[in-house]
Amino acid sequence: MKDMPVLARAAELNSQKEERVRELRRESGRPVIGYLCCFAPPEMISAAGAIPYRITGRPGEPTSEADAYMEPYGCSYVRNVFTQALKGRLDSLDGLVISHSCDLVQRLYGIWTYYRPLPYSRLFNVPHQVTPQAERFFMRELGFFKESLEQFTGQEVTGERLAEEIARANRSRALIRELYRLRQENPPLIRGSEMLELLLAGGWLPPEEFQKLLSDTLAGIKKRPAQEPPRPRVLVWGSLLDNTAFYRMIEEAGAHVAADDTCIGFRLFEKDIPPADDPIEALKNHYFINFQCPRTDRGPGRPRFDYLLERAREYNVDGVIGYIISFCDPHKFDYPDLRDYLKESGFPMLLIDDNYSFAPAGAIQTRLQAFIELLKSGGSFSAT
Amino acid sequence: MSASEMRRAKRHLETTRKMKDMLPRFFMRTLERRFSNEPLAWCMVGVPPELLKAFNLLWEWPENFGTICASRLVAPDFIKAAEGDGYSPELCTYVTNTMGYCKIWKDSGEPPEASPIPGGMGNPSMLLGSGFICEPRYKWFQAIATRYLDVPVYSSDPLAPPWDVDPHDPRIAAHYKDLLREDLQGQVEFLEQHTGKKLDLDLLREILALSHKALAYWRDTLYLRKAIPCPMGSTDYFSAIIPQMYMVGEEEAVDFYREIYHEVKDRVERKIGIVEEEKYRLIWFGLPPWFNLGFFNYLESLGAVVAIESTYNVGDWFEVDLDDPLEAIVERTWRRAVKMHEYGTEVMPELCNPAVFGGFAGSRMLEETVKEYSLDGAVMHLTRSCRAVSFGEVHTRNRLAELGVPSLIFESDMADPRLWSDAQIKTRVHAFIETMAGRSTAKG
Repeated sequence: MKDMPVLARAAELNSQKEERVRELRRESGRPVIGYLCCFAPPEMISAAGAIPYRITGRPGEPTSEADAYMEPYGCSYVRNVFTQALKGRLDSLDGLVISHSCDLVQRLYGIWTYYRPLPYSRLFNVPHQVTPQAERFFMRELGFFKESLEQFTGQEVTGERLAEEIARANRSRALIRELYRLRQENPPLIRGSEMLELLLAGGWLPPEEFQKLLSDTLAGIKKRPAQEPPRPRVLVWGSLLDNTAFYRMIEEAGAHVAADDTCIGFRLFEKDIPPADDPIEALKNHYFINFQCPRTDRGPGRPRFDYLLERAREYNVDGVIGYIISFCDPHKFDYPDLRDYLKESGFPMLLIDDNYSFAPAGAIQTRLQAFIELLKSGGSFSAT
Repeated sequence: MSASEMRRAKRHLETTRKMKDMLPRFFMRTLERRFSNEPLAWCMVGVPPELLKAFNLLWEWPENFGTICASRLVAPDFIKAAEGDGYSPELCTYVTNTMGYCKIWKDSGEPPEASPIPGGMGNPSMLLGSGFICEPRYKWFQAIATRYLDVPVYSSDPLAPPWDVDPHDPRIAAHYKDLLREDLQGQVEFLEQHTGKKLDLDLLREILALSHKALAYWRDTLYLRKAIPCPMGSTDYFSAIIPQMYMVGEEEAVDFYREIYHEVKDRVERKIGIVEEEKYRLIWFGLPPWFNLGFFNYLESLGAVVAIESTYNVGDWFEVDLDDPLEAIVERTWRRAVKMHEYGTEVMPELCNPAVFGGFAGSRMLEETVKEYSLDGAVMHLTRSCRAVSFGEVHTRNRLAELGVPSLIFESDMADPRLWSDAQIKTRVHAFIETMAGRSTAKG
């Protein structure tokens, strides 16, 4: 498949995002609020007049600076992100929002705001179960979040303004889904690594600019020549992937990443936030009820993975590759049940357990290749 | 590692030594009821035991079972069985101990032979979880009920305010207390449904009164450890929490804590310490290595006595009005969370514990603790498989350093002895003792 200039542009933009956000901040006069995880809606940040900025790590970078503040046993992603803050790479942030998505991210909030306080910071607390009382709590938490943003930016978050921001974000979601549909083709018309590069740009670009990137990609794909031969199609399930390296490794090993179920992926964009009389209620439904992160206990039983099985069938994948960052308890707990359920449903699964470094690359590559060979032996693929 | 490096604890108090008779008597009573197939709940620490007692339920604590398996050195057998089923070695070893136990049981159809308790944990008719301290506790029972045991589950979900939110703000208090109250109500409804009994509020009130009476004796006992020499050490401390977990609301438990209080008070009055020459007074952070509680005796052999522990503590929060007993549970939970919050919860935020017992790592309370307990140093157990309790120790070490108190952080685990490195840990202990010795010489 030929590389497209628009996708090269996305990669370039992402490589300069820290500088670009500084510029955006200076030009617009709006504060920048960094966030991790998806429970605290970025639409709310925008509606309060601030620029939402999805914080990412730098996989594989040493994190020894974090040793003075946090334990070696802990999520390597959390250590990596905090190292970015300690190195001053996130100094352009006026604020920080961390949702209580998992234990270690929640601990990161305390350590970060204690040692490196910011003008605005908020821990967005999230219940672990979907019960009526948990829904009520989440609604109240959204209310407190809204108030705190209003106090910080001085801009009231009216229902209209929030609805506008939701509509803007939905326009991006619609384009993303259109691109995802092209991945249902065989071979997919856009690579998994390319798709993720685009989504990463959506974590910080102004929506209109992001939408232009998506539209240009859609237009470019129609002119894209040369179909690649069929290869095994995989779905990637797992914890956070905020870098395209892993998808590129899979692609280099000989498979198409046709679908995903990770934080910065279809989990976020599968559905629109429906227009509702109460946009807060709509945000609750989208970011709490429907957001499929294993950190939310949806009760026992394997049907809780049915959404994934449906996606695997919809995207006609041959197998599933799990990617779990070390010490990520919620994903590690789900793995044995998911593995068995997928296997019984005809989808073999490979698990890659990694310390957010994708290293040693040779060892990971060998395992990926072996798995992809296995998938090939089970299907009818021409030699690549 | 060889098993000979692991030492059983030597206790110092007569009262805790008597548990050897008391607990088997209790377990024999419950065994008879188990044989008659009365409802049995497997529960996580954080479920109010008084509520279980009010429903006249039989219950077992898989976490405590994990500590027993650890102390008998059989935990690795179960942990390995769980790992063979796909559970990561990084997961909480209390959890993997239980998962392996369940797997062996499911595969063989019999309670595992290696179980240190006759009959094992029993056949549960329900699982009652509590996620007050960590997320593995939400996923654990979800996984058990998916994979091994087809029984109903209720997982309690109490959240606590982050460190930079004011819990005295009435709106914040209502926000969190509403969740606690509704969650507790859900737990009650679940128990009513699965036991076929209505909650007897009068009985719950009586049980709470007895439970709180026992807790008051326990709290007062712990305060007595401020005395020099310290009258009670960690081997007694970690044993003495058991009656409150199993025999809550029973006169026998109150008698136990009353007796321990009087014994410790007597030792204070007669200036009886737990070592001949008390050279260093320590605070212990984290879970103990249950497979090697003799480690505390080893510290004592070097003249180092643990006067206070960060885990399984109890304060004043149970001093609440019992008129409405369910509201009393909400109130004591919230009061505990607020107190912990005042002490500083920047790295230990999950403190809404409806069962009262629980850890603290409040950074602001360190200053008063260091003074009141005349502490010379801190020993922190960085448990590889329990990040919830040990993550934050580096921060606590930093705060203690500001107070001029040195810390030793060493790595191992609470249940898996394979992670204990005896020579390495002892070398570090010796270096730490030398640090404290140097400081006391410098202080003159």
